[in-house]
Amino acid sequence: MIQLSYLDYSAVEGKSFLHRLSPKAKLAGMGLVLLGIITLKNLPALFSLYVVLLILFVVSRVPIKIFPLTLYPLIFAILFLFVSRFQIHFVLLIFLKVLCGSTGVVLLLATTPYPSIFSILGRFLPSLFVIALFLTYRSIFILLNVLEETQHAIYFRGGIQWRHPWRSLTNISNAFGHLILKGIDASEKMYESMVLRGFKDKIHYRGD
Amino acid sequence: MSHIHLPDGVLPLWLWISGFIGAILVGVILFRVRKKENLSRRLPLVGMMAAAMVLGASVEIVPIAYHVNLTVISGILLGPSLVFLATFVVNVILALFGHGGITVIGLNTLVLSLEGVLGYFLFHLFWRIFKRLTITVFLATFLALIASTLSMIGVVSLGTSHYEELIHQEKDGGLFEFKLTKEKESHQKEEMVEEEVNLKRFISILLPLGFLGWLLEGVITSLIVRYIHRLRPDLLRLGGEPT
Repeated sequence: MIQLSYLDYSAVEGKSFLHRLSPKAKLAGMGLVLLGIITLKNLPALFSLYVVLLILFVVSRVPIKIFPLTLYPLIFAILFLFVSRFQIHFVLLIFLKVLCGSTGVVLLLATTPYPSIFSILGRFLPSLFVIALFLTYRSIFILLNVLEETQHAIYFRGGIQWRHPWRSLTNISNAFGHLILKGIDASEKMYESMVLRGFKDKIHYRGD
Repeated sequence: MSHIHLPDGVLPLWLWISGFIGAILVGVILFRVRKKENLSRRLPLVGMMAAAMVLGASVEIVPIAYHVNLTVISGILLGPSLVFLATFVVNVILALFGHGGITVIGLNTLVLSLEGVLGYFLFHLFWRIFKRLTITVFLATFLALIASTLSMIGVVSLGTSHYEELIHQEKDGGLFEFKLTKEKESHQKEEMVEEEVNLKRFISILLPLGFLGWLLEGVITSLIVRYIHRLRPDLLRLGGEPT
C-alpha cells in the first residue's frame, strides 16, 4: 500500500504518451482488457495480452517499484487453484487472468490521476458513491502518514515478534485502534473544511 | 478470507452480473430504510473507515494468506447502511489494485457487507446478553466471519460448471477439436469432471486457514474495540454499564 504514493506520483508527474492520453480513452482501453480477460480462454491469446500490457508498462516509464503490486494477487489465486487438480493449463490460465487484470488496473492508476478517473465514474455512478470513493482515496494518504508515525511507536513498544505473539497482537491492535481514532478525528476536520469550501453533497472536479 | 480473491473471467457471467444486481438492490433497500439526515456529514467517516479497511487488507499474514478485514469494527462504528457503502468503496479500490477482479465487485460487496452488517447486529445482541466487551466483540467478529466465509464458499461453488469448462479447454485441444471428439469422449469426460473440480479439497484447505484467520481477527477486533472504548466510548454507542 506504501506504493500508492508512487502510483500517484507517477500518474501526476509522468510524461509518456500513455500519461498524455485522455482518461476516457484509457478507461475504454481498460474495458477492452477486461473484456479480453473475460472472453479469452486460450493461453497464447492471454499471454499476448499480458505481453502487450508489459510493453505498455515499460514504455510508459512507470516506476519499477510499482511492478510488485501487479504480482500480489497471485498469492490469493493459489488458494483458488485447490478447486482443480493443479492441471498446468488451468494454473497458467488463472495466473494469466490475474496478471492481466492487475497489470491493467495498476497501469491505469499509474498513468491517470485519480480525480480524472473518479470524475468519469461520477457521470454514471450515483454521486454518493463517487464522493465516498474520493474521500476514501484521500483518507488512505492521511492514514498512511498516521501509520508511519505509529510504526515508530510500535517499534519502541517491542514491535511485532513471532516469539511474543500476545504482545505483537496487542501492538497491532493498538496501532489499528490509534489509526481508526486518528482517522475519525481527521474525518471530522475534513468535513468542516469541506463545508467551509462550499461542499453541498457534490464534489466538483476541474473542468466540470 | 471472506473476500473473493478471484480474478476476472473465472466466475460465470450470470453469477457476477447477479452479484451487481444483488448489490444494487441491497444498497437501495438499506439506504431507503436509513434516516436521511447527517448522511453527508458521515461521508468523511465512511471514507476514513473504508481507508482503514483498505490498509488492513494490505497487511498480509503470508503463511496463511490472511489479511484483516476490519469490516466488523467498521460495521459497529458506521451502522448497517453505511458499512455497505464502505465495503462497496473498499472493493472498488482493492479491485483497482488488482486485489480481486473488477467483475466480482458486486459479489464481494455482498459477502463483505454481510460480515459488517451481521457483525453490527451480533455485537448489539451479545452486548445485551453478556455486558462484557471483549467476549461480545470476539463472538460477533468470529460468527460474522464464519457466515461471510461460508457465503463466499457458496458463491465459489455456484461457478463449478464454469471451472470445469475452463479446465477442459486444453484437454479438448481447442474449440474445433472439441466439436469433433465431443461425442466419442462424452462418457469418459463426465467421469473425469467429478474428479477434476474438487470443491471439497478447496473447502478443506480454506476452512482450517479461515479458522486461524477468524480467531486472529476476532482477537484483533476485540483489542481494537477495547482500545477505542478506553479513549472514545461514545463511538460505540453502548447502552448500559460498559465493561
